Amino acid sequence: MGTISSALSLMSQALNADQAALNVVANNVANASTPGYTEETPTWQENDPILINGVSTGTGATETGATSQRDRVLEERLNQQQQLASASGSRLTALDSIQALFTPDSGSSSSTAGDIGSDITSFFDSFSSLEAKPTDGSLRDAVLSSASTLAVDISNAAKSLNAQRSALDQQTTGVASQVNALTGAIAQLNTQIQSISPNADAGTLEDQRQLDLSQLSRLVGINQSSTEHNGLEITTTSGQLLVSDGSNYQLTSGNVGGVTHFFVGATDATSQLASGGGSLGGDLTARDTDIPNALASLDQLAYSVSTQVNSLNNAGTDANGATGTAVASSTTGAKTLDIFSPPTTLVANTTSGGDDVSGAAAAMSVVMSDSSLVSAASLGQGTGDGSNATAMANLANQTIVDGQTPSNFYSNFVSTLGSTVSNVQTENTAQTASVTQLQTQNDALSSVNLNDEASAMTTLERSYQAASQVFTMLNTMMNSALNLGVETAVA
Amino acid sequence: MRVDPNYLTTLSTALDQSQLNLQQMTSEASSGVRVTSLGQDPVASGENVLLLNQIQQDDSFTESSSLVTGQLQVADSALGSVVSQLTQAISLATSANNGTMNSSDVKSISSQISGILGEVTTLANTSYQGQYIFAGGQTATAPFSTSTAISPAVTTYSGDQDINYLQMPNGGKIQLNVPGDRIFMGGGSNSVFAALNNLVADYASGAVDTSKAVSDTDALGTALNYVSQQRVTIDNSITHLTAASSVVGSEQTQLTAAQSSLMQADFAQVSTQMSLDATQQTALEDVIAELGSSSNSLFSKLQ
Repeated sequence: MGTISSALSLMSQALNADQAALNVVANNVANASTPGYTEETPTWQENDPILINGVSTGTGATETGATSQRDRVLEERLNQQQQLASASGSRLTALDSIQALFTPDSGSSSSTAGDIGSDITSFFDSFSSLEAKPTDGSLRDAVLSSASTLAVDISNAAKSLNAQRSALDQQTTGVASQVNALTGAIAQLNTQIQSISPNADAGTLEDQRQLDLSQLSRLVGINQSSTEHNGLEITTTSGQLLVSDGSNYQLTSGNVGGVTHFFVGATDATSQLASGGGSLGGDLTARDTDIPNALASLDQLAYSVSTQVNSLNNAGTDANGATGTAVASSTTGAKTLDIFSPPTTLVANTTSGGDDVSGAAAAMSVVMSDSSLVSAASLGQGTGDGSNATAMANLANQTIVDGQTPSNFYSNFVSTLGSTVSNVQTENTAQTASVTQLQTQNDALSSVNLNDEASAMTTLERSYQAASQVFTMLNTMMNSALNLGVETAVA
Repeated sequence: MRVDPNYLTTLSTALDQSQLNLQQMTSEASSGVRVTSLGQDPVASGENVLLLNQIQQDDSFTESSSLVTGQLQVADSALGSVVSQLTQAISLATSANNGTMNSSDVKSISSQISGILGEVTTLANTSYQGQYIFAGGQTATAPFSTSTAISPAVTTYSGDQDINYLQMPNGGKIQLNVPGDRIFMGGGSNSVFAALNNLVADYASGAVDTSKAVSDTDALGTALNYVSQQRVTIDNSITHLTAASSVVGSEQTQLTAAQSSLMQADFAQVSTQMSLDATQQTALEDVIAELGSSSNSLFSKLQ
């Protein structure tokens, strides 16, 4: 049997519950713009009924707390896409800087400066002109000046690439400390979450943890797996352990061979991190793959052109009737009629055979200052002979650079680089679109929707009004019961 | 059904993208170039390098051929003068051989032929822009000199047999010179100088040994024909060069057209795209302004 006083206490409970629920709504509205905040809904719990004299009576409801609206799977999916998009985004930024060094020559006469392809052609053409009039001083000067333009453009491009490599290296060094800060924070949150709410969603703490995870994903590629009691284990994409429940493992960096390498514990994880994702992955790929490839091509071009031209020039007769040093072309050391600076250290590349040509592009320069030393004439011929100039001009059509003519080699280099950029651009566009889509889905679920909050608030307000009306009614009834029908002024 | 309350952020990202597109179109229109970076069209960028290479080679050949034409024409006119000098020498020798002249006339013919020899030697030592063109590869020194120490005098050649060629861009080559000894001292009865020196010696004393003089005159005639033949080589080179220049010139025009259509912006397309982008941008701005200003949540209605 219910009593009026038990009904009164039921109503006051209801009022408390409504107030608590309104708090949750107010909290949502206050945090509507907080990053990482997920919308909370109040949880209503019916109280157990009591049995008095065989009659079951309800005991109202309580508000037991707020539940975050979150989908862990969706958030993990979003983080994974974010890793990929960050990686391709940072790689694309680096590639844009690289390709800016090789802007295609549009063909109008004012824009040929700085284009290596045009420089190669001009250089070999200067020998073609020389073969017609081998003794002409201005044509000889033109040979040296076009050689100089070629050497300067190639060495500048190589130096710029080296500078970009250093800049990327600097960028990656800062990432290790950021990663460690985040993994430390996540480990602490793990401990807190596991002690406070091991079996249910941890609300605000979980929001923070997910925010940290999202930021970590942008930096490095990670895999995450839940452990017991709402804990979290994080590894890099290739399996190095970063966080395990309450403990985190530092990502350290060190200088190996002039660039920064990253270690987890004692393992050098750099190459795995490069393919793992995140902005670190993108930067490492650009630093360790894209830039070295471009440099290697330039080195090959510089080395082949320099050594072939030097050999031929030394094998001819210059305008003074002198001939050059006849040394086998694979030996280092200066010869008397070198046009380009000879390679100073030639290390045999034991893995792939042949010579290691790295550094040839950055060091390329013209060492000949007197144009009368250009050997237009062949060995033993008079100074009016132009056949050696013809031979040097014909180098343009011989496969002297890695099995291709110099122009073909440069053309292939340029289209390969362009294709790489184009591919990464396409990937990045697709991944960014995917991230946007997932972000939209996630926001639809977890972001604070002000309309929902407004309608929830209205409902709670009405329910509060109803409860207080019932309370007033019960108070009047109680008053009547106390006064047993006698009308008084007591309210 | 759930709705993303942050859709305005997506719209502003779209606005950024459309502004970027508009910027790109504007820079394409102002510079006139379609491919401004390798990633935009990698295949075209590679093609472009090869086309420019070919165009520049053609251009260089055109310049070289105009340089060389002057030299060839000088050689041709020098040989033309040599032919007329030799013709005159032959007529002088013939008149001396017919037996109607007296001793002093014969001696004067000897000195006239000696004068012709000097002329021919000067012509054989023609230089063009400081280089001796009939000296083979030894162009720094005059190739022909005559020593009168003995009689008949001896003309010696100090050049060599080197021949220079000009390569053509599509293969093939053009001969740029004929060595002096081949023209003027062609071996045996083809030697101009031997014939002239002999004739000078024949008429020097005033008495004519008719049979020897006649055979020397015939030798001069043979040498004259030989010079004319060598002249043909030079003339062929000039013709060849002119023909090659015009072929190369028209190839260069075609290649330039191909390269332009590869790399230059298509203005019709660019301006259409620009107007589309501008329209899209205006539309997005209007939408954002409208949505941002109007009350878009229930709260504003709950007064």
